[in-house]
Amino acid sequence: MTMRVALFATCLADQFFAEACADAVRLLRHLGVDVDFPERQTCCGQPAFNAGYKAEAARMAAHTLSVFEDAEYVVLPSGSCAGMIRSYYSEISDEGPALDLGKRTFELSQFLVHVLNVETLGRGLSGKTVAYHHGCHALRELGVDSEPIALLSGAGAQVVPWEADKECCGFGGLFSAKLPEVSAAMADRKLDTLPNVDFVTSGDGGCLLQLSGRSQRRRVGASGVTTPFRHIASALWEGVG
Amino acid sequence: MSGRDRIFARVRSALAGRDRTELPESFGEWRLKSPPVSPVEGFQALFESAGGEVVRVSDRAGAATWIARFSTDFPSVIFGEHVPAELKPDLPSVTPEVAALGLSMARGAVAETGSLLMDARDGRRAQLLAPTHVVVLDAAAVYASLREALISLKDDLPSAIGFHSGPSKSADIGQIMVRGVHGPGRVIALVIDESVIVQDHKEGIS
Amino acid sequence: MSRVNPGAYRAASARTIQNEPGVRDSVGSATRTFDANRVRAFGQIDSERWRDWARDVKTHALTNLDRYLEEAEMRLLANGAHVHWAESADDALRVLADVVARHDIRSAVKGKSMLTEELGVNDHLEQLGVRVRETDLGEYIIQLLGEPPSHIVGPAIHKSLDDCRRLFHAHLGTAPDATPETLAAAARDALRQDFLAADLGISGGNFLAADTGTVALIENEGNIRLSTSLPRVHVAFVGIEKIVPRLEDLSGLLQLTARAATGQPIGNFVSLIQGPKTNEEVDGPEEVHVVLVDNGRTELLADDVAWEALRCVRCGACLNICPVYRQTGGHAYGWTYSGPIGAIIAPGMLGLAKALPLPHASSLCGACVDVCPVRIPIPDLLLHWREQAVEEGLTTTAETIGLKAFTALAERPDAFSAAGALLRWTPWSAAGRSLPILGGWLQERSAPHPSQKSFRRLWEEGIE
Repeated sequence: MTMRVALFATCLADQFFAEACADAVRLLRHLGVDVDFPERQTCCGQPAFNAGYKAEAARMAAHTLSVFEDAEYVVLPSGSCAGMIRSYYSEISDEGPALDLGKRTFELSQFLVHVLNVETLGRGLSGKTVAYHHGCHALRELGVDSEPIALLSGAGAQVVPWEADKECCGFGGLFSAKLPEVSAAMADRKLDTLPNVDFVTSGDGGCLLQLSGRSQRRRVGASGVTTPFRHIASALWEGVG
Repeated sequence: MSGRDRIFARVRSALAGRDRTELPESFGEWRLKSPPVSPVEGFQALFESAGGEVVRVSDRAGAATWIARFSTDFPSVIFGEHVPAELKPDLPSVTPEVAALGLSMARGAVAETGSLLMDARDGRRAQLLAPTHVVVLDAAAVYASLREALISLKDDLPSAIGFHSGPSKSADIGQIMVRGVHGPGRVIALVIDESVIVQDHKEGIS
Repeated sequence: MSRVNPGAYRAASARTIQNEPGVRDSVGSATRTFDANRVRAFGQIDSERWRDWARDVKTHALTNLDRYLEEAEMRLLANGAHVHWAESADDALRVLADVVARHDIRSAVKGKSMLTEELGVNDHLEQLGVRVRETDLGEYIIQLLGEPPSHIVGPAIHKSLDDCRRLFHAHLGTAPDATPETLAAAARDALRQDFLAADLGISGGNFLAADTGTVALIENEGNIRLSTSLPRVHVAFVGIEKIVPRLEDLSGLLQLTARAATGQPIGNFVSLIQGPKTNEEVDGPEEVHVVLVDNGRTELLADDVAWEALRCVRCGACLNICPVYRQTGGHAYGWTYSGPIGAIIAPGMLGLAKALPLPHASSLCGACVDVCPVRIPIPDLLLHWREQAVEEGLTTTAETIGLKAFTALAERPDAFSAAGALLRWTPWSAAGRSLPILGGWLQERSAPHPSQKSFRRLWEEGIE
């Protein structure tokens, strides 16, 4: 029986990482999964929730619950949004359906390793050096730690140790706009410790926007790194080879 | 209504309707992952790793001999109130403010923290002011856990107890560790493995 | 009162980052060392179980606070100590003024205590004509500099060795290139005179054991033992939340606090103080005053969510791991207590309006949850205060309108995707800087590049 996955592209990736979402679809199909894209999906509500707008977040959660009501699995190219659904929906929505959706919801690499039991995709990343940024919510809310590393290594990449790989990049949704100076200093810490690699990857688009945006700004001032930043969905699709 | 009453009123109003939780079992059934072979060994390992020194002698005579030899490097000494005469070296006894060496009796020690238990009745200045502090400890008075030590102290508390678990130290200057900032920079636990000092000590302070 | 100005957090943090890069270096290196030591020390114990236990003891003490405060007071009085109750900083300072007047106090030595910083004890003593000397080496450094502490455990962690060399050269006449040992020895000599001359010793209190009336103090230098042993009067300021039921509860709490703070099995010196010198003792203070301080703590206790923050043992572990704190150190927070713990107790103790934007000074990365020895759910409490701010209308109009509009769109998928398309076509760099949320983003980063087509469009076109 074919496994059915509803892709929750997330509002940020829909606009800024559309190709990565497409790569996630390609990857899942390649692994024999039937992928659907429920078209009524919008935002999981996390930006509002983290800013203290609980009532607004609850409305978006209710909408999202209705969109994915019948999905067998919901997969997101974002640890942060997956964490929102799994950890907080039961606080702001009907507890039963929220917990039920939480159990069916996975971040992409988590889904590949724990549901599809895949660790080896191909050898498409042979010879590539990679630094992996652990998104905070993937790491601490979902417990996604070794999964992405195993998938990247399994595809032939050399994942290079990065002193600050588990430190926050400073994105934090509205935090990055409310307190931009501290947020940028946090990104600087990441960029200053970044090893020399072919590309940086992560499971969260927000973190990648923060790091690449800061990196590009520093490059204008000639102190930046030129390393490309890529979403892990694209890296893993390349890994299939 | 006094300030005290108003504080209590606010506390009680804050707690009204909140669950008053149970007091958990006291701490101590699951301590270190690798417990020491004996309390004395455990005390010694931690006290030394904190920068303290440990000297072990077999009996009181051995302690007296060691103190006599060690103290020749010092011009003056301050004794704790309960240091027995036979342990006192032949050295000018001066006020604690100017003494080069302090010699005190420990009330006990704790293996799991590497701490000497210093009783105020032995004299606080003698424990704190001299740059070098020698503390005589009976091996039989080393508790395995801090919990056991605290329970035993409870029946007979002086105005203050100090746990001394190593020399005075600080990393406040540029995060670099230095010793001997205010209290003794050198502290030596002189452990008597078989001794009757604890009994003497207790008689002395009761 | 010491300077309280959390409202200036953004400007202060920006200033520190831009103008004082040495602070970020010193704080970053010190906190990473502290945290690495904690990781090692937690690895030697069953830290999950220790932390469960510590949480449960502190929770029990707080949910039975009235009963244990009464017991502690009774025991302290029986021990011969004086007990005072201070609703506010002013009350606490009045107690101090009375002691100063009654004993004709001329000089005081002080052990490190965040509560006395909160109360503004030093300024008050100086107004009373009392010479007060901080005796913890880090506190001594910042007292000479006229600065507040930058960290709960390491007050001078924002200062480098060279900063200290310049300071001690100017004040104590040490060589401009003196070693840390020489600097410490010079401070020891200067402060020894202060210890011997002082009539009053001042301390805080890490814990107060109710069943024995014991004030427990943790330190490494011995200055607290000296401050509480040499002067003839000792005044201990203790927050009412510091209470624990039994003396033996200190066993776990002293060890866990030290492991969380510096990675040590226990502080090199711990004082357990019951009261004044007894007849069978040759030295020690003749009078001990314990001042039990509220100053906003009962307000925090009354909050049905945030009261859990009162479990805090002030180990500083959440500061050490916090990527936000690490960029600036503590001064930017504009209050005695900085970092994640400061951000969750400030709204309860100072009032939310005054404490903003501290609850927002976090990316909600959650690193602090894994280190707190008493398991305070710090990110949840940050969210709680953010929600309160929304409820009380303390947010900006632009933000509120923006989020409400966003929510309305998110409930209408067609409108949401149309708005998304508009977003991608916006000439960000040109227009963005003047917009409320985008402006903050563009100030420090290049404009993000939207995808050429949204994923929704790619899906409609078919993905090969």
